[in-house]
Amino acid sequence: MQSIVAKGKDINEAIELGLKLLGTEKEKVSIEIIQTETKGFLGIGAKPAIVKLTKLEAAEAQQAPDKNDVIEQAVSEINMEEVAVLSGFLPEREHEGEHQIGTKEPDALVGKAWVKNGALFCKTSPTHFPTVTIGEGVKLYRNHELVKEKTTIVTENDVYEIKVENEKKDTKWKVWMDEKKLKVFLYVEPGYKITRKLPDIEPSQHIELVVEEYKEVYNTLSYADVMQKLESLQVAHQFIRQEQIVKALEAKEPGTYEIATGVSAKDGKNGWIELNIDLRSQSGPTVNEDGKVDYREIRKIPSVERGQVIATVHPPVPGLPGVTVTNEPLPAKQTYPVVLQAGRGIITVGDKIVATESGRPQVEQRGKLVKVSIAPKFTHTGNVDLSSGNIRFAGDVEIYGDVEKNMVVEAEGDIIVHKTVNMASLVASGAIVVHSNVVSSEISAGKNNMLVAELGHLLGIMQQNIEKMIGVIRQLTQSPAFKSSDFSRGGLQPLIRILLEKKFQSLPPLVKKYVEIVRKGENYLEDDIWREIAVSLTKVFLSLTNEVISLDWIIQLSRKMKELHEISVSPVKPDSYVSLPSALNSRIYCSGDVFVTGQGCINTKIHAGGMLKINGVIRGGEVYGRLGVEINETGSERGTPTVIAVPHDQKIRINKAMEGTILKIGNVKHALKETRYYVVACIDKDERIVFE
Amino acid sequence: MIQYSLHENGEYLDVKLAGDLDIDGTEVIEEELIPNMEKYQTVNINFEGVRFVDSTGMGLLMNMVQSLKEKGIKVTISNVQQDVMNVFEILQLPEILGEEIFI
Repeated sequence: MQSIVAKGKDINEAIELGLKLLGTEKEKVSIEIIQTETKGFLGIGAKPAIVKLTKLEAAEAQQAPDKNDVIEQAVSEINMEEVAVLSGFLPEREHEGEHQIGTKEPDALVGKAWVKNGALFCKTSPTHFPTVTIGEGVKLYRNHELVKEKTTIVTENDVYEIKVENEKKDTKWKVWMDEKKLKVFLYVEPGYKITRKLPDIEPSQHIELVVEEYKEVYNTLSYADVMQKLESLQVAHQFIRQEQIVKALEAKEPGTYEIATGVSAKDGKNGWIELNIDLRSQSGPTVNEDGKVDYREIRKIPSVERGQVIATVHPPVPGLPGVTVTNEPLPAKQTYPVVLQAGRGIITVGDKIVATESGRPQVEQRGKLVKVSIAPKFTHTGNVDLSSGNIRFAGDVEIYGDVEKNMVVEAEGDIIVHKTVNMASLVASGAIVVHSNVVSSEISAGKNNMLVAELGHLLGIMQQNIEKMIGVIRQLTQSPAFKSSDFSRGGLQPLIRILLEKKFQSLPPLVKKYVEIVRKGENYLEDDIWREIAVSLTKVFLSLTNEVISLDWIIQLSRKMKELHEISVSPVKPDSYVSLPSALNSRIYCSGDVFVTGQGCINTKIHAGGMLKINGVIRGGEVYGRLGVEINETGSERGTPTVIAVPHDQKIRINKAMEGTILKIGNVKHALKETRYYVVACIDKDERIVFE
Repeated sequence: MIQYSLHENGEYLDVKLAGDLDIDGTEVIEEELIPNMEKYQTVNINFEGVRFVDSTGMGLLMNMVQSLKEKGIKVTISNVQQDVMNVFEILQLPEILGEEIFI
């Protein structure tokens, strides 16, 4: 049985051509139209007509039989369906070749697809369509349209075309230097060429179009390229690492190579002081083995004897300079020696710091500056009264008697009073311990912190005002109708005077208050900057100076104020503490913890920079503990107002809180209307006081 | 340099200012204009011709209004250009001198 596929401009032409090739007539063939012609537009999209002609049995019988006849007859029906599907349309010649395969192994091909010479062939059976899975890098076109599915069925009625993609990429590279000019890096991403080829695939019901990939790496970076770049960066030859360049040139994978390395500078060490004694004094009451708190053994004070070496001064160790890859020296960080201030009772012998008096060594270190001194101790066996006079001492003071009415005791170290303090004032830079009652007195422990806190607060408000004023002045100078020509002649004063009239009328009273406090506390303010700012503020806002004041000057002032304000609000190291059994009508300030160990406080104001702990009762007054408050009993049955305050992140603990107790956490207040036991109060996320 | 013209109508004086109200006008205002204004019961300062001001000029204006008020003279300020008014407002001049004088 002979069949042929023919194409033509239209069906008629195709049939005629087919008949001619078969050498037969229209009546002797069955005609199957595979594709009707499509005219397209201007020849675009035009498709030929394709027909399949099969010689009929009768006609075939007249044909001379050939050796394949037997087989052909057996599979004739299947063979009727046989068609080759090729890329593009089918030239008859290929059809014939394919036909031969079909005739040789007809069974094996039914319902199967295969690939030969990069083209897809298939043969459908009535019951089965071959399927094809399209692999990476392969594009399958059905009737010139890209097949998007991953797996598709193929039919011989369609025209298939397979395309494989090749890839090519150029070598990329760059060279750069780090900021310190210590290293030069080379990044290389070698170029490559990927060739893909679709191998022949054996006929199968399901075939997968998987390409064979050949990747060839072309690293086109050359040694000359790199050296030229290094030269343009002025990299010195001795720092270039040839072996790294070679590695980069041979690289098959992208990578970064450090192709030149300088010598980095080695930092030295500043001078320092090595202490020969343990200066840490154990502060605060300690709990002994019985679980009792011993308030007499409150502090172990370090002490030295005459002639004892307190510390050794070490000189700075200079660093080693380095070299950049461009052969420039890279200096090491400068190192500095300590600046030693030998205070009272101290001499230096070579690099040793030696005590010439016995007492408590004090070492104060601020940056490079180290101040060493021996704090002596003054012991007063009687009362402090009119016969002894006020006591002011640059060290520790211990008083065995009372401190009487209107007397003052001031110490740069600690104060210990064994009897009562009545209507007197105690001021210590260190701790204050009173063993008996305190009545109507002022107690302040810790370095001028109350003053600093108060001034810092004022400074903060004033600084905000001045910052606003700077904003207003800037706004004015940008106003189209405003001339700033008189600033150069008279400075900002005329403008400031107008601004103080209304907009900033609250500023001059604040300045006055600040200046007043600084003047009063001048002797207690260590740092001169507080006074300097007072002078500046007076000049601008209080006096009618003729000195020309510029905006820059005010900005500078504002910045100084801001810095100082920040220092003043930063938490004070609670190095001091106050311990007393009971207080009445007194004011107690301490930068550290405050312990009231006895009966408690009546109408007393307490400010503790650390923890406040009252073992007894507090009735009336106001207490504040920056690191929390613990009190046994507060308020009274008569409802005496008693304010217990902590910052918003702290807790208040009270064993028995009676009426009149006002809890203040941050800015939130809560007054107790009735007695509560075991109060633990804190603030929740909605800014409300809650009890645990 | 500020220039002014006086238009009197019995007890009422209308002062028309022209030019920039600035530091250069100090003498003119303090030594000529204010003594002249003090002779009337009601004074209006017309700002229509004033395009620019500086801080000294603002000081002069405040001083002028306040010293006239002290003498019981009714002062008003009129026809202030918008840009100049912006400067007045930044300095809160209406609050200082009284909102009612700006007409």
